[in-house]
Amino acid sequence: MKEKNDYEHSKRYGMVIDLDKCTGCGSCMIGCYTENNVPFKADETNKLDSINWIQVYKLTNGKPYPETEISYLPMPCMQCDGEGKLGHSPCVSVCPAVATDYDYSTGIVSQIYTRCFGCRYCMAACPYHARKFNWWDPVWPADMEKYLSPDVSPRMRGVVEKCSFCFHRYQLARNKAYYENRQTEELGEDEYQTACAEACPTGAITFGDLNNKSHAVYQLKNSPNAFRLLERLETNPKVYYLSSKKWVRRQGDNYLANEEPGLIKKIDKQHH
Amino acid sequence: MKIDRRNFLTYTTAAVLGGAAGSMLTPAPWKLMDDVSIWTQNWPWTPVPEAGPVTHKQSACTLCPGGCGINVRFVGTRPVKIEGLKDHPVNKGSLCPMGLSGLQYVYGPDRVGSPLKREGKRGEGKWKKITWNEALTAVTDKLASLRKSENPQSLACITGSSRGTLPSLIGRFLTVYGSPNLLRPATVQDANEQALFLTQGKQGTLGFDIENADFILSFGSGILDGWGSPGRMFRLFGTRKSEQRIIQIEPRLSNTAAKASRWIGINPGTEGALALGLAHVIIKESLYNKNFIEKFTFGFNDWTDDAGITHTGFATLVEAYSPEKVSQITGIPKPLIESLAREFAASPRPLAINGRGQGTLPGSIDESLAMQSLNALTGNINQIGGIYIVPEQTYAKWPDLGMDATASKGMQQPRIDGAGSDQFPNTRSLLNRLPGLINSVKGDSPVQALLVVDANPMYTLPDTAATRKAFDKIPFIVSFSSYMDETAAYADYILPDHANLERYQDIPTPAGMAHQTITLATPVIEPLYDTKHTGDALIHIAKSLGGFVEEAFPWDDYETFLADTLQDHWSDLKEKGVIEISPDSKDSAVLSFNTASAKYEFCPAAATRQGSKDSNAPSAYTPAAIEGDEKRFSLLLVPYDSIRLSGEQIANSPFMTKTVEATVLKKQMTLVEINPKTAKTLALKEGSKAVLTTPKGKASVIVHLYEGIMPGLIALPRGLGHTAYSEFLAGKGTNTNDLIGSVEDPASGFDMAWGIRAQLSKA
Amino acid sequence: MNETPLIPAGVKRCSKWQFSLWMGAVTAVLIWGIYAMFLIWYKGLNQTNMNDAYGFALWIWADLAVIALGGGAFFSGFLTYIIGKDDLKNIINFAVIIGFICYSSALLILAIDIGQPLRGWFIFWHANVHSMLTEVAFCLSCYFAVLTIEFIPLILENPRLAKKPFLHHLSHNMHGVMAVFAATGVFLSFFHQGSLGGVAGVLYGRPFAYREHVFIWPWTFFLFTWSAAACGPCFTILVTWMTEKITRKKLVKQEVIWLFAKISGWMIITYITAKTIDTLYWALVTAPSKGFTLMDFYSSPTYNIGLLFIEIVLCGFVPGLILITRRGRENSFFLMSAVILAVIGVSLNRWVMVLQVMAVPLFSFNDWYTYMPSWQEVATTVLPVAYGLIVISLAYRYLPVFPQEQELNPID
Ligand SMILES: Nc1nc2c(c(=O)[nH]1)N[C@H]1C(S)=C(S)[C@@H](COP(=O)(O)OP(=O)(O)OC[C@H]3O[C@@H](n4cnc5c(=O)[nH]c(N)nc54)[C@H](O)[C@@H]3O)O[C@H]1N2
Ligand code: SF4
Ligand code: SF4
Ligand code: SF4
Ligand code: SF4
Ligand code: SF4
Repeated sequence: MKEKNDYEHSKRYGMVIDLDKCTGCGSCMIGCYTENNVPFKADETNKLDSINWIQVYKLTNGKPYPETEISYLPMPCMQCDGEGKLGHSPCVSVCPAVATDYDYSTGIVSQIYTRCFGCRYCMAACPYHARKFNWWDPVWPADMEKYLSPDVSPRMRGVVEKCSFCFHRYQLARNKAYYENRQTEELGEDEYQTACAEACPTGAITFGDLNNKSHAVYQLKNSPNAFRLLERLETNPKVYYLSSKKWVRRQGDNYLANEEPGLIKKIDKQHH
Repeated sequence: MKIDRRNFLTYTTAAVLGGAAGSMLTPAPWKLMDDVSIWTQNWPWTPVPEAGPVTHKQSACTLCPGGCGINVRFVGTRPVKIEGLKDHPVNKGSLCPMGLSGLQYVYGPDRVGSPLKREGKRGEGKWKKITWNEALTAVTDKLASLRKSENPQSLACITGSSRGTLPSLIGRFLTVYGSPNLLRPATVQDANEQALFLTQGKQGTLGFDIENADFILSFGSGILDGWGSPGRMFRLFGTRKSEQRIIQIEPRLSNTAAKASRWIGINPGTEGALALGLAHVIIKESLYNKNFIEKFTFGFNDWTDDAGITHTGFATLVEAYSPEKVSQITGIPKPLIESLAREFAASPRPLAINGRGQGTLPGSIDESLAMQSLNALTGNINQIGGIYIVPEQTYAKWPDLGMDATASKGMQQPRIDGAGSDQFPNTRSLLNRLPGLINSVKGDSPVQALLVVDANPMYTLPDTAATRKAFDKIPFIVSFSSYMDETAAYADYILPDHANLERYQDIPTPAGMAHQTITLATPVIEPLYDTKHTGDALIHIAKSLGGFVEEAFPWDDYETFLADTLQDHWSDLKEKGVIEISPDSKDSAVLSFNTASAKYEFCPAAATRQGSKDSNAPSAYTPAAIEGDEKRFSLLLVPYDSIRLSGEQIANSPFMTKTVEATVLKKQMTLVEINPKTAKTLALKEGSKAVLTTPKGKASVIVHLYEGIMPGLIALPRGLGHTAYSEFLAGKGTNTNDLIGSVEDPASGFDMAWGIRAQLSKA
Repeated sequence: MNETPLIPAGVKRCSKWQFSLWMGAVTAVLIWGIYAMFLIWYKGLNQTNMNDAYGFALWIWADLAVIALGGGAFFSGFLTYIIGKDDLKNIINFAVIIGFICYSSALLILAIDIGQPLRGWFIFWHANVHSMLTEVAFCLSCYFAVLTIEFIPLILENPRLAKKPFLHHLSHNMHGVMAVFAATGVFLSFFHQGSLGGVAGVLYGRPFAYREHVFIWPWTFFLFTWSAAACGPCFTILVTWMTEKITRKKLVKQEVIWLFAKISGWMIITYITAKTIDTLYWALVTAPSKGFTLMDFYSSPTYNIGLLFIEIVLCGFVPGLILITRRGRENSFFLMSAVILAVIGVSLNRWVMVLQVMAVPLFSFNDWYTYMPSWQEVATTVLPVAYGLIVISLAYRYLPVFPQEQELNPID
């Protein structure tokens, strides 16, 4: 059952990824694979059938040598709050079987593999290509099944999967709080952290409750260098990026020739 | 009613349809539908990981020499994840992609599960499982027979590194056995060590206090591409103070260059000239640290030795490297050279660091000396934010060795690789020379038996074809690898070691660290397969050989040996996993030098003192004699390093390969980076199939246009092109070593080949 | 016993031998398709060349196209039973059969397309009422049921079946209530044709597909219904014409065809005018508000601006204008050209709304996505064609599909 919590008081977990700190090392991807039992195959060079819950893109300013610059951009699921009202995420609103849903208490968009029947409509709806389809049965060769984590169930062929903001970690933290007779509202910032944020060796990824003033993400998201991807589509992502480079911020969205990123007023300012 | 064919059909159809319709009214189809979908949710071939209580065990990652602390998460008895250990002094919680995927090495398909004896031809992949007893006996018998024929020096051993107690154990074994031929690959650490010895007269490794430097001038060091201890470097980058500037000098926009405060493109291989050019400006403009130069250095100005011969001082030497000339050599505009020199000298704590890419190639001694001279000019020696000398780990004294005549005779033979000879007096090992030397010998190979420990020379040595040819001449090759790597696949016997997480291993100060640490990797799981710690295997072989060899190994097993060796530290290490040895109180260490002048000696004074050079004909910048005819090979091929790929003895995990971008590897082919301008002259487009040719070989590649590379160059990633391992790595792309040879530094014998001439043509 | 013939009285059919040969050929194609279908079910969707960017591809286009073309059924139903264009009774049987084929194929394709076919029913059981696809699934299945009901009485008119009194009465009674079903069908159709348009139009993360809303529906909702109603009849006319050519018989009086064509023409003209307005609004208001120019959407060699011209002018206004003018539609060359253009037009529209939606890159640092179907996809897409030919052939041979056939082709 959905509970539509008061926007101001519910948690809205989100991320701020500092692209100035991101080195493109790929540790976040591997941290995620190992945390979430992400499968792998012999050939993963076609990135369009390679399951990555967070994908690191390489951006370039397109200038010739030696003025060339590059920036890496890790892209997990944006956990979109959606157009207009909260919870109308592009993917959630289209899933015919409620196999993906918006959790009003955390703002996290879930994915239930055993409910999903693989119509892939959500993939068509997601502008970030955050959703990955299991085109094959996952196979863990040799003794690799032995290292799988029981916290996240391995998926079967024919279903869609995506970044969950490591929701199981939230559940574990919540359970722990519960056993310690604490309210989930009191969950500390470090009690619930995502695997990619933990794995990032430069600390480029900050995770926390965007609505909680004491969490680092609360301040970071208001930086003048902060932007969100494809904000103009009104998907209202909960993943923010920081970059001191204007050309990077510009590539985060689409602009007409005469438009300046900073000057386009975000249509939906309510989420700040 | 008559039942004929037609109404039989009619009634049957009716019955079937009626039955079908009727059964829809029963729960059966609905229940069945539900069951079927539940079945799809529990397909027996989709694993259900077993749950259990969650615990953590601390250890260290041994997949590279980085020495990162790890925290292994267990569910029940199963390790399910490796995470960084937050309070480890090296990595402070950070891990690289390799360390994070550490479990894939343990459980993966590349493991060698039991001792193996070759059945078919070498490298054919036909093996017979044998027992440890059989394996150890086979090796012991062979080694015994070499001693019997008074030929112990024909046993060689290749290790991945000389640091830590296992290489010491092997060294002890070879000595008492009678062979000086302990070989290992050299890295920039070796070149820096030698430069350090020349300038400061001390044995030790060069540490960089990157934490505290405020202006880092990196001569192509991939500080975010795997240089030094990657865990440490990434952490440092993430936590660095905003005022710290990093200047990256290299011909390709690497990840390090991309993250640097400034990237300066330079003609490949000319970094040494740039360093001297910067020194030129600093000296000419009097920007150096006069106090330090006057009081603590020797050879800055011209000097006359006891015999009355005048030698060129450093200041005179660099006069030849005017910004104009250096600009010509390096391709960097003159004003930029000047401003860079001024900025460097004006910074309170500038630091020059060297070692291209991951620093796996040593480069020339000249180069190392030039970089250290820059640090000396600003007086940043053994100073906060400067370079430090990190003493070698001293271990407890082992019982003295008794050596029989065979061993003594063997040990008196020169090393095969020429290291330590008159030609290369300060060099400890020159593995890069081994294949060439074996191949140049007519008749029997000087190496009759080869033990390979923690190394994969068949993949990592330059000029793969020559290496293979040399190995073909070695009659007996034993690999102690945990994985089916190229060398193991080419061996006669494999005596598999435990994998990471399964074995003890001490890790001395990782490359580039400014102070000493010892980390202990403790086994956190029982060995999965029928494997044996190489230390145990060697102790066993030593004991079986009898005599002095046996006597040299009074320890029951490797663990006892380790405990005995580490002595005071052992219990600390077992408990804490890591100990930090703070440098001798900084003040006393500062500015004490063990050279003849008791000062820091500038090149070439130092070199002259070593008696290996004529100081009147100094050559402070020796360009490497890059192979290839300029007409036939109009381009330059430079390998590059990436943190998502491993070019070292432990290859990529499936997860690492999964992260490799589609602009690096496409299906089974490597993409080479080339500037669009150069591509245009070759009529190549993005995605074109092309043939890459060098004097060493040929490879099919795909073209990737990259603005971030100097025109005229081709960049090829290191770490691909494996021929062994499982389908998750084998046959993917090109090994740079297939295309590149080694170029010897005349002063040290080290490999200084930063690339090779090449041609790229449409396939 | 004197056998009642299987073939309806008063019409002539080709020999058993000829018929078997034809059926054999088509069945071979069918079997190829069925083989591919089983491969996909058994091995999974990795048998296709779809990928994470191209989650919807060739057969989803075929699905949408086939449903649009099958629109002749609901629209002729609407005209016949609701508007009272009695003349169209002469073609409605055939329109219903084509509709039946189209919709059963569409359902089959959906069953092949989903990654977990055994869980397909979750769409009904765990329905998300906000999803256009849920709406599609419900309407599509209901309308398919209606089409089946509309088809049954025709089947029962087979002389041998009609001989059974029970079946005869059933057929008769069903005819009696057919108007109700037709009306239901029309209502359902309006919705699911619309929902299919909605499927793309609600994707606010895909500015190429996204359209502003009227109430809860995006513009494409109406455009899809409208275009199906406009072009579906053209497909019915086209298939009738082809049947006539193959059987070398006139089956429907030309006046009926002209009437159908005229109505279709006016529908096309109004549709394409609406589509033009929609395109202008989208190009001038919607897309720029999301940072795109029209040309951003047409900057690939495959997806260039020519497509828009073909869809709107060549396959929109041109056939529309031909069909609304008497001289145009009464000239058989122009008539058939217009009919074919209209069929291409609506199919192209569905192609663009499926395939091009997937191909357009959303980030400036991404390239256009490309896709080439695998043979398994082609075979499964051809499967419904073979199946359709078989159903049409059987129906034509054994059922009184064309009420005017006897009159137009007297047997001496
Ligand atoms: N401390 C304690 N722990 C217990 C128990 C206890 O008594 N005490 N009881 C145990 C028992 S008996 C049980 S059954 C478990 C119940 O534990 P869980 O199985 O975790 O039960 P729920 O939280 O009810 O459901 C899990 C999630 O499934 C989602 N879901 C809904 N429909 C579907 C679907 O069709 N497919 C899939 N895959 N997911 C769907 C829901 O959104 C929900 O978030 O807890 C066990 N754990
Ligand atoms: S990023 Fe994609 S998958 Fe994630 S919530 Fe947004 S639309 Fe859904
Ligand atoms: S693929 Fe699965 S999650 Fe996505 S829309 Fe379809 S049923 Fe929902
Ligand atoms: S938040 Fe968790 S699930 Fe999402 S990308 Fe990061 S590690 Fe993966
Ligand atoms: S782990 Fe951190 S630095 Fe590395 S790619 Fe991911 S976000 Fe960037
Ligand atoms: S840097 Fe080396 S030691 Fe550290 S995690 Fe990576 S592989 Fe392991």
